[in-house]
Amino acid sequence: MIDVFWDGLTGGFEGVWILARVVIPLMVVLEVFKANAWLDKANRVIAPPFRKIGLSQDGAFPVVVASVFGLTFGSGVILSNIRENRLSDTEIRISGTFMALCHALIEDTLIFAVLGIPIWILVVPRLALAVLASYAVLWFFSVARPRLS
Amino acid sequence: MTVDGAILRRGLYKGIVTTLELSKVIIPTAVAVTFLDASGGLEILAEWFAPLMGWLGLPGEAAVVLFSGYFINLYAAIGSMTAMNLSMEAMIILAVMLGLCHSMIVELAISKKAGCPVSYILPLRLGMSLFMGVLLGGMLQ
Repeated sequence: MIDVFWDGLTGGFEGVWILARVVIPLMVVLEVFKANAWLDKANRVIAPPFRKIGLSQDGAFPVVVASVFGLTFGSGVILSNIRENRLSDTEIRISGTFMALCHALIEDTLIFAVLGIPIWILVVPRLALAVLASYAVLWFFSVARPRLS
Repeated sequence: MTVDGAILRRGLYKGIVTTLELSKVIIPTAVAVTFLDASGGLEILAEWFAPLMGWLGLPGEAAVVLFSGYFINLYAAIGSMTAMNLSMEAMIILAVMLGLCHSMIVELAISKKAGCPVSYILPLRLGMSLFMGVLLGGMLQ
């Protein structure tokens, strides 16, 4: 009984140690990003390809924030941005679709990479499916639905 | 570029607080799964879910990892993964599936606030996760 508890506890602490090595440096890097407003600057460069899936520069910003910071840590910035920029319903749905499938690309990737999983297999499917699903939403809102009504 | 002591200290503090928050999830999950394993409960659950997990190329006990990731978060999933002996193939399948769909209780609420209803995001993420599971399960086994 005590043995089992001890095994579980040491296993748990091992898990915490794995994650501490990812989370603590990551939080330091993210603070530096925030202090320098690097995401606003990066967004101007990153935004253009998002036009292909129907997102303007304002619409791409929450997606960029979510991809780097994650939905939970980025939620404050994401929600205030959506509200302030008055995105269209289509853009809200597209950015929401992208964000739901693809976010926290640094954190989520590193915590599994520490276990020995190749990084590309953690990133490529999420990005690819997010782009495909967003494109499908854009097609639905711009082609399929207008034709129905 | 501005980097000063205050910024680094704030990052370090946030990192430590987050790690402590996460340990509150990881340690109990790891202990619970270890107990589940020692009591034979994991074996029963594994047998129960084996046919379903077979579709995803996963052993039955991986259901516990999948559920802790879907319902709680990725850290709980890792907590239960460390308590099991999973093959690299199984870990890859689980990581890809969980990357697409996790922490549903918290994240569905955030998506909803961002303007996308649960009735849309839940099937989207669960569907994509299961799709990748079946695809990778077929490829890796």
